[in-house]
Amino acid sequence: MKEALHVEWTKLRTVAGTAWLLAAVVLLTVALGVAASAVVSCSGLGCGQDPAKISLTGIAFGQAVVAVLAVLAVGGEYSTGMIRVTFAAIPRRSTVLAAKALVVSGLVSVAGAAAVLVSVLAGRIILPGNGFTEAHGHATLSLADGPVLRAAVGSVLYLVLVGLLALGVATAVRDAAAAIGVVLGLLYLFPIVAAVVSDPDWFKRLQRISPMTAGLAVQATTGVGSLPVSPWAGLGVLGLWAAGALVVGGSLLRWRDA
Amino acid sequence: MEATIEVTGLRKRFGPTVALDGMTFTVTPGKVTGFVGPNGAGKSTTMRAILGLDSVDAGHALVGGRPYRTLRHPLRQVGSLLDAGALQPARTGRNHLLWLAHSQGLGARRVDEVVGQVGLASAIRRRAGSYSLGMRQRLGIAAALLGDPPVLVLDEPVNGMDPEGIRWMRGFLRSLAAEGRAVLVSSHLMSELQDTADHVVIVGRGKVIADVSVADLIESASGDRITLLTTARTQAMTVLAHAGATVAVTGADTLTVSGLSGERVVAVLGENAVPFSEVSAHRASLEEAYMELTRDAVEFHAAVAEEAAR
Amino acid sequence: MTMTTYRSEAPPARDGFGQLLRAEWTKFRTVRGWVIGLVAAALVIVLIGLFGAAASNFSCAGPEGRSCAASTPPVGPDGEPVNDRFYLAHQSLSGDGSITARLTSLTTVSSSDNQKTEPEPWTKAGIIIKESTTPGSAYAALAVTGGHGVRMQHNYTGDIAGTVSTKPSWLRLTRSGDTITGHESTDGTDWHLVGTVSLPGLPSTVRAGLFAASPHHEVITESFVSTSATSYPTLATAEFDRIDLQGTWPDTGWTGDSIGDRAGGGPGGGAEPPVGFDETGDGVTVSGAGNIAPIVAGRGGLGKTIESSLVGAFAGLIAVIVVAATFMTSEYRRGLIRTSLAASPRRGRVLAAKAVVIGAVTFVTGLAAAVIAVPLVGAVERDKGHFMFPVPTATEVRVVVGTAALLAVAAVFSLAVGTVLRRSAGAVTVVIVAIVLPYILAIASVLPSGPSDWLLRVTPAAAFAVQQSVPEYAQVTASYAPADGYFPLTPLAGFAVLCGYTALALGVATFVLRRRDA
Repeated sequence: MKEALHVEWTKLRTVAGTAWLLAAVVLLTVALGVAASAVVSCSGLGCGQDPAKISLTGIAFGQAVVAVLAVLAVGGEYSTGMIRVTFAAIPRRSTVLAAKALVVSGLVSVAGAAAVLVSVLAGRIILPGNGFTEAHGHATLSLADGPVLRAAVGSVLYLVLVGLLALGVATAVRDAAAAIGVVLGLLYLFPIVAAVVSDPDWFKRLQRISPMTAGLAVQATTGVGSLPVSPWAGLGVLGLWAAGALVVGGSLLRWRDA
Repeated sequence: MEATIEVTGLRKRFGPTVALDGMTFTVTPGKVTGFVGPNGAGKSTTMRAILGLDSVDAGHALVGGRPYRTLRHPLRQVGSLLDAGALQPARTGRNHLLWLAHSQGLGARRVDEVVGQVGLASAIRRRAGSYSLGMRQRLGIAAALLGDPPVLVLDEPVNGMDPEGIRWMRGFLRSLAAEGRAVLVSSHLMSELQDTADHVVIVGRGKVIADVSVADLIESASGDRITLLTTARTQAMTVLAHAGATVAVTGADTLTVSGLSGERVVAVLGENAVPFSEVSAHRASLEEAYMELTRDAVEFHAAVAEEAAR
Repeated sequence: MTMTTYRSEAPPARDGFGQLLRAEWTKFRTVRGWVIGLVAAALVIVLIGLFGAAASNFSCAGPEGRSCAASTPPVGPDGEPVNDRFYLAHQSLSGDGSITARLTSLTTVSSSDNQKTEPEPWTKAGIIIKESTTPGSAYAALAVTGGHGVRMQHNYTGDIAGTVSTKPSWLRLTRSGDTITGHESTDGTDWHLVGTVSLPGLPSTVRAGLFAASPHHEVITESFVSTSATSYPTLATAEFDRIDLQGTWPDTGWTGDSIGDRAGGGPGGGAEPPVGFDETGDGVTVSGAGNIAPIVAGRGGLGKTIESSLVGAFAGLIAVIVVAATFMTSEYRRGLIRTSLAASPRRGRVLAAKAVVIGAVTFVTGLAAAVIAVPLVGAVERDKGHFMFPVPTATEVRVVVGTAALLAVAAVFSLAVGTVLRRSAGAVTVVIVAIVLPYILAIASVLPSGPSDWLLRVTPAAAFAVQQSVPEYAQVTASYAPADGYFPLTPLAGFAVLCGYTALALGVATFVLRRRDA
């Protein structure tokens, strides 16, 4: 396992794209977060907005780049046939997948933590200027605040789980383009379909199983009671999706010819 | 159109690396022209430039007097095989040829003709991704022949072929040239061109080192050398050297003598009563001729050494 | 050695773009994955549409198990669903004639606590000439509004602004055949024309009188998980005097009717405000609630729009983007691009042929899917008791064809981005993020509607405007946010934004394809 980890780390590290993609995760997440913080305003007491959630809006953008990073960690090997070299070096395929998962998780959590920290800091600076003040019932964003810390840590974990979901899907699908289509479809389609469903039960059900909507429930710091699913349980939903994808991908990896 | 390729003064750099450094040569019809040089000598880049795929910083490459990119149905004038692996694996070999045929205004019948010509009929309806390297080479040759072109440009066409395939390819290339086509075949091994090429263009470091007919090349490499078979090797070497010849040991009982004619060698050996069983004019192999030719080309060796060091 | 140059015996062929198209079409159809991808796109468009309909139960309990009255709203003369609920004090008018009245005050109370409130912007009271007291019948009205001055409105969608905004306001409607003319005045002597409207087929005897209506007060609170609307009815009371009736008015006095007030009430339910009228000397006081206006589609609103049956287009879009990007990037994956460019050295034309082929096959696929999805999903929705917003055939065609065109242009966009990036994963991500993410941020995020509107103006997601089938009405207060299905740009302009991005991407793609070594 140690060798496998080392191998995967070296592979990912030596591809020029990795550094760029990690930089893009941070940059795009922060950019959208800052933009959202800058345009949202709170005009009075109980304006129904969630400052932590606003400052972390960029996760919806950054997750796409995380998905690309994870998909390329697998898809890149299949498109060049290098996967056979990898399996010749490490015949235990589940070990290879586990090593990839660990390396991707590590890289994404570092980039994710940077992105989240800068986003929250930007929100802390920008939001009070837009009416998110003590007078309107919003304390300054601070990681010392339990729910805000949960939102921040949860957002990093959210990105990691999106990376694992993408890794599992890419292992199962073996084609980078198709894999990224499936992952972004899973993430982005649920909220759109939920918007046209008028049955409240189905609406709730869709939101509960949607990897993005449920997973991002972890960012909520206000109105937690009205969420379709509680914050950590929501992240758990995404975790189940990721685990399911990894199990399917891992099984196919073992059964299929390389 | 005239079945020729004229390459004049091609220069190209990739960053600090000089890929082409004034490459100049001409390929004429009715011959197989070998294009030889070590890996990285600029063969593929030149071929891509001929086909209008790579731009060059200076010089020009003309096919039948025209730049490739101005040709209307290029595959009817120039057939090419650059990389046999350049296929969509999911598409069958036949469909690969079919879209190429359609792009040249040709029909499915022409596809079936070339498939028969290269002997791929049994596998043509399979996914190209399942082909062996040799089958891909045959598919690539079929694609090059689709437009029945007077000019053929083939990059290492025997790569990955089995001995039977290589023999087939040699005969096939010769027959194409015999029909009056100009055939340019690259290789990094001179021996691959033995019995195939009529003419060779030898390149190194992005320029032409020699542009000669194979017959001339072998003749000049053979020079006035004499092969001598003798059991008294040391004695023979002494007397011949004394008579002003340069002698090299090339086998247990074999010496190669240069600097003296055959008659003088026989005379000198007779005068000194040195026994010998045979004196014959030496005939160099193409590989030897190549080595002979490139021995003095300093930059060529530097190029080879640089390649090896990489 | 002399050698004659080889001459091919192949017949000469014409050189044309058609051959290139044919070659690219052969390329496309001979890769099974791409064909399957497009079929899958069509399938998900239909299936997700059906799922959306199946998962939309309409539950609105009417009294005694009757289906909820509001599920079948009255329909106006032009076929659109309308609100036609107000209080009317009326008499019959035979033939041509006119009604003049002075409105001296307009006040509203909130029915939840009976406290006086500011009138709603579209609280209105005034004079009206109406075909009959049946909801949905033709009318022309001249009214004083809560926030928009004097307005002349007719047949629910027509709205002409007057100039008077002070009270008392003098109002006059004159009927002459099918033509109704509205005049306003501040003093009863100096009249100006507000507007002239035509009510085709108006019977010779109509109802005419004084009315008052006030829509619900709505507060929409958006949070990231849901949107909640607080809504309560309001009651408007208007005092009229100096009433002057010209022409033939056979009735001897005013009759009061609460128009459109059916047992069981509207969707608001609960206590209805006390409506009615009162004659005081030469004056009449009318109190009414409700609205005379088209029904607006939106979140939590009634009914389904045609575009809701095409929600699957998003899923189809993702499949199409994957196929289109791969159609180009697969050329680069193994160097096939060199074969393609050796066969057709004019590189711009290769890209053009690829764009035409992928655009055309996507358009046909999208069109087939949309043509199947719209009636099929509509049938399921109607079967489940949903009211379908009727749209003119031209609009329906625009939505269906526009959806197919959106998919086709997105495919070309994806192809162009694939040409520039040469990597499928990158290209697919860029295009999906460019088209789908702004839409999601606009409909389901923390962003308020202002920035959401901007997202749908400047990003390729603007193109979803081609799906908007129902118009915004300036004279109806409602949430016209993207999440309600209202786009800031017109369908054509929104589509043009996507086309602009695509043209730009194609331009860059052509440039790099020409300049780059293959």
